[in-house]
Amino acid sequence: MNPKLRAFLGGVNAELHRLKRSRLLIALVLLQAITFLVLVTLFGMTGAFAPTALVNNDNGPLAQVFISNLENDHHSFNLIFMNNETAARELVGKGSLVAMIVIPQGFSENISEGKTVPVTVFIDNINTDLTDDIQRAVPSAIMSFGDQSKLEGVNVSVVETDSYAHDTSFINYMVASALVLDALIISGTLSAFTVAEEFESKTAKLLAISPVHPLIPLMGRVTATTLVSAGALAITVSIGLIGYGISPIFPLQMVLILALCIVMFSCIGAALGAVMKKTLPVALFTLGIALPLYLFSGSYEPQRFDGNLIWGAAHFSPEYYAVGLMEHAVFNLKVTPEPLAILALALVGWIIVSLALAWFFSRRGFS
Amino acid sequence: MASLELVNAVSENEDDNVIEFYDVDCKISGKDILRGVTLNIRRGEIMGLLGRNGAGKTTLISLISGLRSQTSGEIHVFGKKMRARTAEFRKKIGFVLQENALYEELTLFENLKFSASLYDVQNSQKRIQEVLGILGLLERRDQVVSTLSGGLKRRTAIARAFIHDPELFIIDEPTLGVDADARHAVWTYLRLLKARGKTAIVATNYLDEAIALCDRVAVLGEGEILAIAKPRELVSNSGTCIDIECDKLIANKIATDLQNDQLVTHVDLTLSGISLFLSKGANPDEALRELAKYGGINGFCVRAPDLSEVFKSLGRS
Repeated sequence: MNPKLRAFLGGVNAELHRLKRSRLLIALVLLQAITFLVLVTLFGMTGAFAPTALVNNDNGPLAQVFISNLENDHHSFNLIFMNNETAARELVGKGSLVAMIVIPQGFSENISEGKTVPVTVFIDNINTDLTDDIQRAVPSAIMSFGDQSKLEGVNVSVVETDSYAHDTSFINYMVASALVLDALIISGTLSAFTVAEEFESKTAKLLAISPVHPLIPLMGRVTATTLVSAGALAITVSIGLIGYGISPIFPLQMVLILALCIVMFSCIGAALGAVMKKTLPVALFTLGIALPLYLFSGSYEPQRFDGNLIWGAAHFSPEYYAVGLMEHAVFNLKVTPEPLAILALALVGWIIVSLALAWFFSRRGFS
Repeated sequence: MASLELVNAVSENEDDNVIEFYDVDCKISGKDILRGVTLNIRRGEIMGLLGRNGAGKTTLISLISGLRSQTSGEIHVFGKKMRARTAEFRKKIGFVLQENALYEELTLFENLKFSASLYDVQNSQKRIQEVLGILGLLERRDQVVSTLSGGLKRRTAIARAFIHDPELFIIDEPTLGVDADARHAVWTYLRLLKARGKTAIVATNYLDEAIALCDRVAVLGEGEILAIAKPRELVSNSGTCIDIECDKLIANKIATDLQNDQLVTHVDLTLSGISLFLSKGANPDEALRELAKYGGINGFCVRAPDLSEVFKSLGRS
């Protein structure tokens, strides 16, 4: 066997043995990835399902129509039906509920007679984001109610034309982008750890004085780490897709994008490991940059919605391209103005840059 | 157990050098770490590099390994002027680094297997078994390195340097941080190298280690070679030391009286009295008879000088 290939495979073999005995580390990194996945979707859950008490003091038919309009209002309430207004108000005061909507007695009768009926809305305005959601959603539901019930005085209607034939829930949208974040957390952390440990434990010197170029066995070690990262990400992806009930529209494209992300982030991790040469700081740093890079990549919404400056800056993040491609692979969405081919080319470009960075900094680490 | 092939020790031929340093200087960050080092190491000998921390021992070793380059001067290894360290050259050298540099989460066997892959060792399984046998580590073969004692880790590092059967061993601080038993065990295995006809360079802080292992020692101080000698000669040339237990007044009087004595190289006042350093050839019995005249001496001890005292005898404090 060629000595270089032998040294490379030696590195792969040694690293696989090492990782086999570092199951706790892998489990913790995996847990971190899953935590991030859940964490980002929690942001969506709080906005989309604000727990709101509905006290219906009227049992008339129009009250029921109004309730169904409130229930169907997109991305706002999670209605909790209660009979007691005082109890509901107490729950809002305790922070268990965001708001309380009270349909007064005689609602249906008064509406039928064309009278104005006040609907009481009591809001815990501790968070203006949720307050705004309620403030927007209630009038919207009233409009729908008036339209549906053919009430006089309500003469505004919306004719909506959608870009996509299907709706994508906010949470699912974030799950797809969070999988890119998980690729960074898993492969970035593990490869950064592997390379930093090589320098920290001084085994890098052993490689430096060996007959083969030190980057060959190191490359073997990083390759093994990348393989293990791919396995760990597969678990996270399964949890994400099954847990949130997502069926990717282009599954092969999704797998390919995630595989490319694993390679890219492994290389970035390796470069960071070679620069920092200490396991604890590099692990913390990798986790530290993960969220900003993620948030900067159109993870919550197409990044261009946040203004041209932020959108322009987002182009420097590799996750921008990966998230753009992922949203297409999973939901057939086009979240960037750039065509998919450009995104794919940019992602490949980033992989080449990452490889070059890993090579340069590792080589410099040995000199 | 592996067979042990014993061969004749140091080459008789003084020109049969494995390593030659010619007026080698090395600067690191503008600071002189080695100055005018000229040194040769003969085939089959164990050469000690003796010096305190920061004397330049590790730098000198790094020059041979290629981890550093000299600023000026020439280094010949295996008869060739070495600038670039080729793969063939590196295969002839086995390093035991100051740090064990072992993969802590791998077993002994896995560590050696990885090293074998770096050095392209054929039939590596057999070779690993053989080396583990030679170093008495066969029973620990599948033990994870992090669970080993300091002494066993050191022995594993030596086993790793053994794996590709190099001609030259370079061992930096062989017994740093190991207990007395482990130290003795490491010495045993280093003697084994010599018995197998290998050449070795051993950098150490310990004079007793140099005496126990080395054919010759080069004493390094502040980047310069202060002396090259057989270890016992080095010690005997440094004279004899007498530690005297007495009160402070008598110690001061002895120190004043012996200030200009030709046979006393220097005196040190100590907490328990005074230490006298006699020059080579001085008779300690005679000195003790003279000292007895002072009275008030509670006890004494005649001993060989330690490394620090050897340095003093070489004119370095």
